[in-house]
Amino acid sequence: MTTTRTPAANRFQPIDPQPDDAPPMPNQTDKTFAEIRSELLTTFSAADWESYNHLVGWLRDTDAASQALKVGDDAPDFLLPDADGRLHSSEQLRRNGPLVLSFFRGGWCPFCTAELCALQAAKDMFESVGATLAVVTPETRDFPRQLKRSLGLDLKVLSDVDYGVAVSYGVLFRVPDETKAHYSGLGFDLSARHGSPVWMLPIPATYVIDTEGRIRSAFVEPDFTIREEPAQILASLRRAASTC
Amino acid sequence: MELHQVRYFLAVASTLNFTRAAEQCNVTQPALTKGVQKLEQELGGQLIYRERQLTQLTDLGKEVLPMLERTLASAEAVRRRAQEFQRKEVAPLKIGLAPSISVSLVLDPIAEIAKFVPGLHVELRQDTAEKLVELLLEGEINAAMVGDVRDMPVRIDDWSLFEERYVAVLAPTHQLANRLSICIDDLRETVLLERAGCDVAPKIQRLYFPEEPPHLGHCSGHDLHLQHMAAAGFGVFLAPEHMPCIPTLKTIPIEGDPIWREVRLLAVQGRRYSPALDAFVKVARLRDWSVEVPGRGVPHATVPETARTPA
Repeated sequence: MTTTRTPAANRFQPIDPQPDDAPPMPNQTDKTFAEIRSELLTTFSAADWESYNHLVGWLRDTDAASQALKVGDDAPDFLLPDADGRLHSSEQLRRNGPLVLSFFRGGWCPFCTAELCALQAAKDMFESVGATLAVVTPETRDFPRQLKRSLGLDLKVLSDVDYGVAVSYGVLFRVPDETKAHYSGLGFDLSARHGSPVWMLPIPATYVIDTEGRIRSAFVEPDFTIREEPAQILASLRRAASTC
Repeated sequence: MELHQVRYFLAVASTLNFTRAAEQCNVTQPALTKGVQKLEQELGGQLIYRERQLTQLTDLGKEVLPMLERTLASAEAVRRRAQEFQRKEVAPLKIGLAPSISVSLVLDPIAEIAKFVPGLHVELRQDTAEKLVELLLEGEINAAMVGDVRDMPVRIDDWSLFEERYVAVLAPTHQLANRLSICIDDLRETVLLERAGCDVAPKIQRLYFPEEPPHLGHCSGHDLHLQHMAAAGFGVFLAPEHMPCIPTLKTIPIEGDPIWREVRLLAVQGRRYSPALDAFVKVARLRDWSVEVPGRGVPHATVPETARTPA
């Protein structure tokens, strides 16, 4: 582009710039995700409520979650880049222990960022039982990197470029027009974020996959404000470990 | 939506015949029809006009087709990678680079996908952006990296990877070599080596040399030629910031960074992506390009919003 503008250095401010030595965001380990959810819901405007009810109603009417993979199914293998463009294969991720794979909608969704912080806080516990945690977003370019930086995350954030993994797990849906209008109005351009002209999103879902590649627990919830509590994931991991 | 529904729809889109599509997918025609109907319900509209003699894609069908092709290719790439590996096949990947794109940009992505794609064999081609688009459509190359492109055919997928500024490159003995930055007026007074087929040249001319064209010196379409001519003292040239320079040259920013361009990745819609190409496209679309352009790799002009949890 040959336009007159300010130098990139001044123009480019990471969201909420944080010096590298800044402590990561205080995690809210003392609160359950459900409690954080209630707090977030109090910030909803009338338009947010309307959009939320519409989307969740639509997902329930179309029975979208019924197509998602279930306990006992084989988990599809994948090869995805992380926030820095390094590739990770599912075989590698579940080689030495179970894999916790969590699909989220994107860094623009406050319920997702709350969930990521909760997962970050629980990461050491997952690892103490031998599990690996990876979170999957449909966002591309440097959005996953920005997200990690702004939340101080030390998680494997994988980018499901072109939605191939979400569709294999049966959690992908096309964003209905009303929802698209609402999110566009809030300034979220999912086309630009996903590098895809058609707006698609995953239903937030958390899977525990064992070393054989079999799904041992599945949490798929069309209500995007509800996520699996890390304590629940931990219980699934322990159950999976005891029935190996 | 489910993968098999996507597969059924793509088979109908390519054959425009339900019977043949069902054969292709190894399912009964009622099963195929039902799968396509479910997908239509989910996507919120008809994808296919079913007329007795004429099966056609609707506008919605045409709109979602390229994306669903990419999604299916992406979902199946892993399985195909395993098959290729078992058959001990070579995995060819042909990448085209415009003259203003340095090979240094693709080395790290190639190293990364080589870890996962056994038998990877990369072939690089250099040509103008227009020619690379032709080569893509002819299937001679699988992907291309280019600067700004006019008139992109609809059958080309194109993703913006990052933006970068142009800087001035000159010999240390040049009269401007001691400046911290060079302004456009300085460039009016000096000899500019001409980059043949340069995608930003017309814009530079229009914006900064509207009255009088710059004093153009010798010319080449190859960056390395320009570098050696600049090192020999024949003039200054403008280069994208990521371009590595021979050690006998200096690069100096242009005051106010007026000249920018986007680096884009191109691939052809609807072609079956090989596992190697799939991995390359994925890595390129996530790579931290600021590694190449220190402190400058600004992948987009607008700063994204990230929702923060209220503390």
